Amino acid sequence: MSTASVSTDAVGSAGRGAGGVLAVAVLRRIGVFVLTVLVASLVVFALLNVLPGDVARAQLGMNASDADVAQFRAEHGLDRPLPVQYLGWITGFLTGDMGTSYSSRTPVALQVFDALQVSLILVGAGILIAVLIALPLGTLAAVRQNRPDGALLSALSQVGIAVPNFLAGLLLISIFAVGLGWLPSGGWTAPAEGFGDFLRQLTLPALALGLVRGAILSRYTRAAVLEVMREDFMRTARAKGLMPAAALRRHGLRNALVPVVTVTSVEFSALVIGAVVIETVFVIPGLGSLLMRAVDNRDLIQVQAIVMCVVVLVLLVNLLVDITRTLIDPRLRSTR
Amino acid sequence: MRNPHRHPLAAALALGALGLTACSAGSEDGADSAGPAQDASVSIGLAAVPANLDYTTTGGAAIFEALLYNVYEGLVRLDDDGEVQPLLAESWEISEDGTEYTFTLRDDVTFHDGTPFDAEIVKFSLERLDEWTANTPDNLAAIDSVEVESPTEATVVLSEPDYDALYWLAGPLGTMFAPDSVDDLASEANGTGPFTFESYENAVQLDLARNEDYWAEPAGVAEASLVYYSDAAAAANALRTDGVDAVLRAEAYDQVESFEGDERFEVSIGDTQSVVVLPMNNDHPQLSDPQVREAISLAIDKEAVLAAAASGHGTVLGGPSVPTDPYYADYSEERSHDPAAARQLLEEAGVEDLNLTFTVPNRPYAEAIAQVVQDDLGEIGISVELETQEFPAVWVERTMTDQDYDLTVVSHVEPRNMISYDDPDYYWGYDSAEASEHFSEARAATDDADYAEAMEAAADQVVEDAPGVWLYNSPNIVISGEGVDGLPQNDLGVGMDLSEITVNQ
Repeated sequence: MSTASVSTDAVGSAGRGAGGVLAVAVLRRIGVFVLTVLVASLVVFALLNVLPGDVARAQLGMNASDADVAQFRAEHGLDRPLPVQYLGWITGFLTGDMGTSYSSRTPVALQVFDALQVSLILVGAGILIAVLIALPLGTLAAVRQNRPDGALLSALSQVGIAVPNFLAGLLLISIFAVGLGWLPSGGWTAPAEGFGDFLRQLTLPALALGLVRGAILSRYTRAAVLEVMREDFMRTARAKGLMPAAALRRHGLRNALVPVVTVTSVEFSALVIGAVVIETVFVIPGLGSLLMRAVDNRDLIQVQAIVMCVVVLVLLVNLLVDITRTLIDPRLRSTR
Repeated sequence: MRNPHRHPLAAALALGALGLTACSAGSEDGADSAGPAQDASVSIGLAAVPANLDYTTTGGAAIFEALLYNVYEGLVRLDDDGEVQPLLAESWEISEDGTEYTFTLRDDVTFHDGTPFDAEIVKFSLERLDEWTANTPDNLAAIDSVEVESPTEATVVLSEPDYDALYWLAGPLGTMFAPDSVDDLASEANGTGPFTFESYENAVQLDLARNEDYWAEPAGVAEASLVYYSDAAAAANALRTDGVDAVLRAEAYDQVESFEGDERFEVSIGDTQSVVVLPMNNDHPQLSDPQVREAISLAIDKEAVLAAAASGHGTVLGGPSVPTDPYYADYSEERSHDPAAARQLLEEAGVEDLNLTFTVPNRPYAEAIAQVVQDDLGEIGISVELETQEFPAVWVERTMTDQDYDLTVVSHVEPRNMISYDDPDYYWGYDSAEASEHFSEARAATDDADYAEAMEAAADQVVEDAPGVWLYNSPNIVISGEGVDGLPQNDLGVGMDLSEITVNQ
């Protein structure tokens, strides 16, 4: 870490007090967030517009005439210069108007919002499962690192890491849906429309997401717990006569949790990406399915909106975690 | 070991289950235990997803497959054998010179929103074909105007005779629209058909409900849902796990056998309009030689192609027509696999070291075909480089529109697509005065025999010139679960009629 920033912050904290330092730290992080979003929007727009494939022809079909194609381009402003198109899009996006989908002819914002709700439920369930798996198993693997069962847990998590999400999905489908017939192989019912169906349909995709992420997260948990067990305060606790397990429970786990929470937030973006894949495997009408269709149709305005929403979402979660950690751990205010 | 069936809990559970079955059986007896259930619903898995509901401005067959004959109707329709039958028109007469079609309309038809159907609607709908930007409105370009003779009589006036006019009127282009509904075609569907449009959610599920006020026999099910699976295996899984009741236009060819072996399902294989063809760029310096094209045609083992692309289901073709066309002729014998003859043709043409680029749409059937073709052409000394292109976005632009390719392969699903060999601007670069003359004769024909004869002559000419290699006619695979009957067996490139489906429950 740079010493310069430490000294600036140190000087600042002398002048403005702890509250001021905190505010500056938070503001700086928000500034970085806004800047990142803007840069990302430029990159997304530029990348999508160099993508080969004509929007109008993809919409109108194989036998469209040149005149119809030209008319489509004019109607949708695709004949304007790229910078003009970008400005129109980004100002609209910032005010919540994401444009009208070329393929469905409905407001993009509405579709994205509907799909986002579905994806967030899926991602949330995935995180929950991942954490429920990772915390106990990771801790156990650390505590029992020199015993066969600890080694087995480590090996299992290694295997879990190596399995791609879609493969986990297909395996779960072939075992629990097609083979045993316990759960449906796909589909989606909104919780309000039928909670039982919702849970049954959510289980396999959430597991497909959560098992893989859980395996990864349990590696981090194991490492964090091992790290903590070597700390001085743990040695002190044990010297005072606490059994290792009790020492870990009372003092260790809370400390081990800090890096785990950080990693979980980083894993959030991986979960969102994983959800995109899982949705297409399980025919779930979330952002992932919407994105695949939009790409097929060259519905660029929709692709842009979806990608930007995911970018903003991931950055937002990182921002929140950053700010929360800054609030919790005073050390972070000056070391960055 | 204890027998689990002896366990008291197991016994109690079994009794309970029996009781439940008895109860439900009893309640069903009260309704209708034998025949189809009137209040039944059916859900059908499909592959091609409609982008929206407006097939007048959006390409792709998925939209009118779902809506035509179900929500929307035209003056005439195709039956499952591909014959033109009356629909909203009870009968029609064609003037001797073939330029005036006078339709007598039903007088008991209303749109779902209450708008009455009459000759003014016919005029409005058919004269609106100018507004269509998708799904080949040019096929009805011969329509000049529509005269309203009376509320129940309309005359369609053609600028020149077109024998195919009735056929195209039976498809999406002949759809009758209520004038007040055309601003909303992308998101609402108001027709005269046996089903009303209910909802289309997130490009995943399209729901239809029985139109209780339908002018003819009401639909066999109260509700029909079309569920779209982008992955063929996902659709098959849904069928196996009761996610859907049937799958139409199934693309999981490799799973047909396992469904056939499963008594819970019924598999039938019908016809489609699709011609899977390997177009050769006739403007390419060496491919402009018909001898070279014929050599390529003879070098390809079409049975092997069919096996690789569709697990052997479907019909091997040798020409541009399909078995359901009235002018179909089987050319597969004269174009059968003959590498020796192919080599000889190449030698006669004086072609050596031919390197071709094969632009392959990223669809499973196309990628499978490309591999076989690459091997087969390698056998006769033509080296083929494969280049995958995203379909439709990239392929339609580069290969089809810009005609920037040597070889490609694609499934042309639009019905009677043989007439595209009459278009010198089409992407295979085929321009034959002889063929065009036959096509013109066919259009001007006024009776079935003359028409078929002219079309057969056109096909002969096209096959001789070999602008492409006709590989196979795709199968229409229909897989239904128990109790589901009346599914449309053939894919005729028009609507997918769901009104005769019944479900025993």
